[in-house]
Amino acid sequence: MSPDERDRRAATGTPSSVHLDGITKRFPGVIANDDVDLEVERGTIHALIGENGAGKTTLMNVLYGLYEPTAGTVRIDGEPQTFEDPGDAMDVGIGMIHQHFMLVDTMTVAENVVLGNEPTKWGGIVTDRARANRETQALADRYGLEVEPTELIEEISVGEQQRVEILKTLYRGADILILDEPTAVLTPQEVESLFDILRELIAEGKTIIFITHKLGEALEVADEISVLRTGELVGTVDAETATREELARMMVGRDVLLEVDKPAASRGDLVLDVEDATVEDDRGVVAADSVSLGVHEGEVVGIAGVDGNGQSELIEAITGLRKLTSGTITFDGRDITTDSRRSRVSAGMAYVAEDRQKRSLVMEYELRRNGLLGRQHLRPFSDGRLIDWGATADYVDDVIEAYDVRPTDPSAKAHSLSGGNQQKFIVGREFERDPSLVIASQPTRGVDIGSIEFIHNRLLELRADGKAVLVVSSKLDEVTQLSDRLAVMYDGDLIAVVDPETVTENELGLLMAGERPEDLDLDGARIRGTPA
Amino acid sequence: MTDDSGSIRERGSAALDRLVDATAAERITISLASLVFAIIVGAVLVFVSGFVADCADPFIYLPGLGYGCYNPLEVYWTMLTGSFGSMTVIGQTLLQTTLLLFTGLSVAVAFRAGLFNIGTQGQMVLGALATALVVLELAAYVPDNAIGMVIVLSTGVIVGAIVGGFWGMIPGLMKAYANAHEVITTIMLNFVAIGIAFWLVQVHVGDLTTDSVQTETVPAVARFPATISGSRFSVIALIGALLVAAGIYLLYTRTVIGYDLRTSGIQETAAEYGGVNAKRNIVTSMTLSGVLGGIAGAIYVMMVQYRWQAGIPPLGFDGIAVSILAGNNPVGVIPAALLFGSLKTGSVAVDLSLGVPGELVEVLRGLIILFIAMPEFFRMIGKRFGYGNGSVATDGGEAQ
Repeated sequence: MSPDERDRRAATGTPSSVHLDGITKRFPGVIANDDVDLEVERGTIHALIGENGAGKTTLMNVLYGLYEPTAGTVRIDGEPQTFEDPGDAMDVGIGMIHQHFMLVDTMTVAENVVLGNEPTKWGGIVTDRARANRETQALADRYGLEVEPTELIEEISVGEQQRVEILKTLYRGADILILDEPTAVLTPQEVESLFDILRELIAEGKTIIFITHKLGEALEVADEISVLRTGELVGTVDAETATREELARMMVGRDVLLEVDKPAASRGDLVLDVEDATVEDDRGVVAADSVSLGVHEGEVVGIAGVDGNGQSELIEAITGLRKLTSGTITFDGRDITTDSRRSRVSAGMAYVAEDRQKRSLVMEYELRRNGLLGRQHLRPFSDGRLIDWGATADYVDDVIEAYDVRPTDPSAKAHSLSGGNQQKFIVGREFERDPSLVIASQPTRGVDIGSIEFIHNRLLELRADGKAVLVVSSKLDEVTQLSDRLAVMYDGDLIAVVDPETVTENELGLLMAGERPEDLDLDGARIRGTPA
Repeated sequence: MTDDSGSIRERGSAALDRLVDATAAERITISLASLVFAIIVGAVLVFVSGFVADCADPFIYLPGLGYGCYNPLEVYWTMLTGSFGSMTVIGQTLLQTTLLLFTGLSVAVAFRAGLFNIGTQGQMVLGALATALVVLELAAYVPDNAIGMVIVLSTGVIVGAIVGGFWGMIPGLMKAYANAHEVITTIMLNFVAIGIAFWLVQVHVGDLTTDSVQTETVPAVARFPATISGSRFSVIALIGALLVAAGIYLLYTRTVIGYDLRTSGIQETAAEYGGVNAKRNIVTSMTLSGVLGGIAGAIYVMMVQYRWQAGIPPLGFDGIAVSILAGNNPVGVIPAALLFGSLKTGSVAVDLSLGVPGELVEVLRGLIILFIAMPEFFRMIGKRFGYGNGSVATDGGEAQ
């Protein structure tokens, strides 16, 4: 806000809804927040953006009562507050909607909303379900959140689940809502409807703080945008007048190329050929149904789709972590359908797994030990029996340096790194092993914008070197910018293969929701076979 | 008030961070300091207890308090001389140390691989019985000389290892393929093992000429040659134990197999990603742990008891404490086993020569173990909950 505005407000004496006054939060060896001042007016949406490790979540955890600040004051409606725990923050009307929903799957929408504050009857012995349903419905109607109170959580979509989370927070009397990366799991259409809800909420006098990586979203929905970098507040700008380039520069501290500059593809031989692959998920339900897909040398094939439409299972089948029910996989001209994971790695298949903390890293291991993962049987890392820690250390040092992994200490445990740095390390480890095929699942999930640019460029360099690249992402801009051909997966099917140059975001959104726009060229056969 | 509680919480976190990040030298210093504190606390306890005990020969009279029976200095001095004061007691100390090395390593080997084997006791009991039965049979067929001894002793150790390994493999299989937690299954299998062994010896294979549940005594050719007179301790077994400790250390720090074993136990999904058959490796880790438990049993029969007898001491459970005290480090198990072994031997001396009740001596022993183990224990807890190493993720990114 401008100094003038500040003066005016001071003069009229209207305190800000949220005022973080000089917040410093120090952890041993780290300053997560350094003298941050943030003011949010009642009835506005305030976006908080910044790279990984910039201190956004820490700052919000201070506001939400999870951490006590080392210095500084939290003022709510002008009153200084001290929070012992999130319960205290809740009492003054602060609610947080986490990225990962905290809902009970087997309970109804209304039961989840009232959980912990159930209306009761018969002298407090029995939950008054009728009243819970009625109150949930009333609350939903008031803020324009479409939900059916009697439906079970496990039967509703992710977007609806998020609405339930918001309702739950509102039911507990929240005036100030903090949303942590709320759009990460949503389709473009669901994002739009979320934004409508947020606008409705501020119209009702609520205050919203919105943590995001995505500049476009911040510009679209927020009134004001604050940028954090390395724990410090770089500035607060008006969303009306700010530009993407300006925000990116504030976040990263230098100019960032937002559009990927991609030379024309020079497609070579078919490297990966998946034919009629049917894969089951852990419960034995068919997750990918007769999928055919090919990736050539020197091209990037993208798979778009909302999480949970069979992409994960398909990729696990290709990388050797899951068995095919039927179909074949050919890699470099060799049938690898029944090959072990180890032999696929040896054959030159690099894999950045979607769930990095489960798959790609051993969280208790240092980076040095993690650098070995997947290649512990191969030279130069070992002779098959004894590990060559010297060669491993050299490799890990190179990855840390080239991919700007922080901290730069190879003896840091994987769990001590932020998500973005974990991802940079994995990407580096996998890309630098001279693979002939790179499979990257959500390669930039949770990674900050500067590193996204870097990872994208590395992927395109691999492509230029004639490697085959398969990218799975739920980020539309990512797959459309990187891919030469883009497949959309819905409910276990590759329902379309489109040209990323010509397809619109709206068309993709519809495809991801399982609808085929009529005038779109959906030449499914193009995904396989010889180069066009 | 608020500030206080906050700063206490933060001070606690900071202390945990420092503990987790402590260097080896710091940890040794902490352990030594803990030993001193344990002795001071124990001394006070013994001194005070002396005033409520009755004895013919009190060592002190305090007006108003009465006669004190126990001199703390004398108690600790006896404990020390009782474990290191003569060649005979040194032999006893080393004998205990050798057994504790094997059981401690058994627990540590699994722990390093992220598995908690509580079943070392059962593996040891069954391994011991198998060894006793086989060497009793085999001894009749070998010459009564050094060659015969080598054959019988090595066969005995191998048989103990196989049977112990088999008994360790069972919970490994249940963990890997049926997702049954190894803590539960190994505890239950201890009862099964002890029950089976008791029943077999009592009804089928025992020495039916006595009332006690035991096998016949093994002949000299099946006994580790004693190194020190007055004790059954054999340096051969100790050297074997030290070699195993070094081998396990190298296994986990230098070899691909060790890396695979450890990764499989710690994070199965990541091991699969790394091209490792995680389930098979979990079974292997538990089997290896059982092998060491079984060897402890074999050594117990061929060096200590010279037969299998019901009521084998809880060396397998002591192994858990030894391993935790050692921070599950195979090399650290060596001093930890020595400490446990000397306390065991020293306690016997205090009990016998000073008339201090065995229970009180147990308390003194427990204090020392507790004090030394606590920092390590907190260190493990701290590690588990992500303290140390600047582990604060100030990450704004998506948690997975």
